[in-house]
Amino acid sequence: MSTDPEQYLAARLRRALAEDPRTTELGVRVTVRGDHVLLSGDVASAERRAELEAVIHDIAPELTVLDDVQVVPVGEPGGREELR
Amino acid sequence: MIRIAAVGDVHLGEDARGRMRPALEKLDEHADVLLLAGDLTRHGTLDEAQVVADEFSGLPVPVVAVLGNHDHHDDKPDEITKLLRDAGISVLEGETATFDVDGRTLGVAGVKGFGGGFAGKCGSAFGEPEMKAFIRHTCDIAERLQGALASLDTDVKVALTHYAPVPDTLRGEPPEIYPFLGSYLLGEAIDATGTHLAVHGHAHFGTEHGMTPGGVRVRNVAQPIIRSAYTVYCVEPSVVEVV
Repeated sequence: MSTDPEQYLAARLRRALAEDPRTTELGVRVTVRGDHVLLSGDVASAERRAELEAVIHDIAPELTVLDDVQVVPVGEPGGREELR
Repeated sequence: MIRIAAVGDVHLGEDARGRMRPALEKLDEHADVLLLAGDLTRHGTLDEAQVVADEFSGLPVPVVAVLGNHDHHDDKPDEITKLLRDAGISVLEGETATFDVDGRTLGVAGVKGFGGGFAGKCGSAFGEPEMKAFIRHTCDIAERLQGALASLDTDVKVALTHYAPVPDTLRGEPPEIYPFLGSYLLGEAIDATGTHLAVHGHAHFGTEHGMTPGGVRVRNVAQPIIRSAYTVYCVEPSVVEVV
């Protein structure tokens, strides 16, 4: 029976990002492919983006992190929606 | 026309202090009220709540908030509520806030909400104590929301929650986790009370637009969805009344 270790590792990393006090990010996707891990989603500051990589590195230092996470934009909205 | 600004999931902390403020200073040019749809902080600490208070106090429009799951993480929701209220922010958990806008009235009823899932794919208050507690928490909150919405006698009624009242605005999230993202009981409360608009957050990978089974517009305003400091919905009371 296959145990799909990549799936378990991705789940462990995702839980770590949610539960580690340095990150507490539930809105970051974690995808493991071989020796790469892809992070995607949005965080509120550049510091938090760096912490994501630090937490991943602590648990799986052998993985290369591909970081697609963005700092969420906080400008004025471009328009408005009229509900009719 | 009543202009409702809204944003959720700002997840403020010391490292994000002041980021949103420039876009908020002229809020009155765009909106009559600002709704905050929970997850105001990262860990639910009072230090983070103070950053929230500083960011959203003294604005040119009233601010109404509900707390989210992150704001409960440090087990201090009552202290956070008091801190924000002392800063002039209306924090709702089963209560309402009403406003006069150019002679028309706006009422907002707010609760955090909780999970449980959506009709036909939801949990029941049965079995282990943990499962019963989970579903009963949602039931209690939905009852409070319905009571608060029913008590409003305003031209426009808005439901403000953190968790989602419908699955529509969760599209983009894995369907397997929908039961952790919202509950149909919230939608049922909204549909039972002549509500005009429901605003929520929580689902960062969801979709902005949705609708309850009863035809009420639902908007997911999680900041990663709206990708701005806030977004604005304009509601024309007379038009809505006809609809």
